[in-house]
Amino acid sequence: MMMNNKLYFSALCILIFSMGFTQEKKDSLLVRLNLNFRDKPLELNKKYISESKDTLQIDVFRFYISNIKLQFSDESTYSEENSYHLIDIENPNSLRIPIQKNSEKVIKKVVFSIGVDSLTSVSGAMSGDLDPTKGMYWAWQSGFINMKIEGKSSSCKTRKNAFQFHIGGYLKPNYAIRTIELKPINSNLEINVDIAQFFKNIQLSEINSIMIPGTKAMEIADETVKMFTFKNNNFINE
Amino acid sequence: MNNSLLKIKLKYILFIGIILLFSLAFTFFKPTPLYLEIPKGWPKPHYDFSKNPLTEEGFQLGRQLFYDPILSRDNTISCASCHLQATGFTHVDHDLSHGIDGKIGTRNSMTLMNLAWSKSFMWDGGVNHLDVQPLNPITSPLEMDETLENVVAKLQKSDTYPNLFLAAFGDSKITGQRILKALSQFELHLITSNSKYDKVMRKEAAFTIQEQNGYALFKSNCASCHNEPLFTSEKFEKNGLPIDTTLNDIGRQKITENPRDYLLFKVPTLRNIQFTSPYMHDGRFKKLMEVVKHYNSLGNDKNLPKQLQKPMRLSDNERVDLVAFLYTLTDTEFLFDKRFSYPKE
Repeated sequence: MMMNNKLYFSALCILIFSMGFTQEKKDSLLVRLNLNFRDKPLELNKKYISESKDTLQIDVFRFYISNIKLQFSDESTYSEENSYHLIDIENPNSLRIPIQKNSEKVIKKVVFSIGVDSLTSVSGAMSGDLDPTKGMYWAWQSGFINMKIEGKSSSCKTRKNAFQFHIGGYLKPNYAIRTIELKPINSNLEINVDIAQFFKNIQLSEINSIMIPGTKAMEIADETVKMFTFKNNNFINE
Repeated sequence: MNNSLLKIKLKYILFIGIILLFSLAFTFFKPTPLYLEIPKGWPKPHYDFSKNPLTEEGFQLGRQLFYDPILSRDNTISCASCHLQATGFTHVDHDLSHGIDGKIGTRNSMTLMNLAWSKSFMWDGGVNHLDVQPLNPITSPLEMDETLENVVAKLQKSDTYPNLFLAAFGDSKITGQRILKALSQFELHLITSNSKYDKVMRKEAAFTIQEQNGYALFKSNCASCHNEPLFTSEKFEKNGLPIDTTLNDIGRQKITENPRDYLLFKVPTLRNIQFTSPYMHDGRFKKLMEVVKHYNSLGNDKNLPKQLQKPMRLSDNERVDLVAFLYTLTDTEFLFDKRFSYPKE
């Protein structure tokens, strides 16, 4: 009987130990991303009309969110370690970023980058979301593609009316990473990514293919920043 | 009573046994570490080995991958198709290398030697790290025309590779990163440092009078770009060749978009140059003497880098002496080292 008790005791210990881990995970913060066209969820292969009057559809929408930093009301900060997240409209799990930080403090600011920093860009083959199999790494000119937007528009006089924006570049002066600072409206860390804002200042008949780092990529990277805002729950009925 | 006690005991032993097995699984994963021997007097390697510790198992996996056409779309082209050991890991006899479906590229394949010291890769330096270099040939529509994602899928289905990854990395998971790091492990071992030149420097051999004369000419005319002991400055330079209008390869400018980089190409190493023909970025010269004659014909041209502005004015005999010296850079031990050759079962 003694032996049996010991067995149960060790099993119980393991159970409590593993519960400790799940508990910690449960208490983490969650950043959620809504990929939208204006105020509706973005759908692939659906026709939209941009503010510049281009009829367009999106086939690929992928980008990196990196170096997430939280700033609390008491001025303390938390920086996520190894903070590289590939957001992909085709992978719903990627739209939820759990942050392993358990805090009751009010978050004043959320800071993050769109893209991958230059140090990581020169550090060879990476793993996880940065693995070159993810299709976000250039071959003939090393470096990550920070954001990939591909689709079709009748405005594009290109093969199959395709447009392709592969935005990246890690070498100055064409370092295309962009940093965003957002102030949460409430405790809800839900970020709207409105791709309509990206196409607002783009005439697809003129600009429809950015595939290399350079001044054009730098200009277009500035447009990507405009997509990101915190969701304001007061104005949107769900 | 006795019987049930025995049962409990057995249960307990089984429980402990399973835990022991689990911990053993982790302790049994011990790949054999390898350490690159840095030749005496050489600079510190550029590659960061701490991010990819060399092991025998990693090296062997990389070697398998290097020689395996599974990396290409139709399983016909391997790295070795354009990088043959006996010719300093370059593509002999072809000015421009050919890849999948017999398609022809725009450049002469580079040699693969002493890569741990390389800071950039390709003739235009577009690649910034040895690990990510293979992405180029794998994805180029003229070379292997494959995706790394699909290479992972093919390797996962193979009978042999999951075990090779297990031996090298501790589990049989196959990822893009692991493929690339394994290839680097093989390539990092391709060190050539046992040529006659090296032996002379180590005072284990002596140059002939002709070679000695050639060495003196080399030091005064070539060594400012082809620095010893690696025989490359790792820089990009104009070499005075007019652009081949059938290719219109602008070189480094393609990467930097800077007009000053027009027709700049990476200074290649001269090691094993006796066997790495044809020469130059587009393989336009078949014979080493043609290369020497080209540089001998230059001078008094403001468009050239300052190292090439002073005419060399080598006599016929001096040119022969220079080539004789260049032949002392041949390292037959390296070119026929069995550890780098096709892995036989």
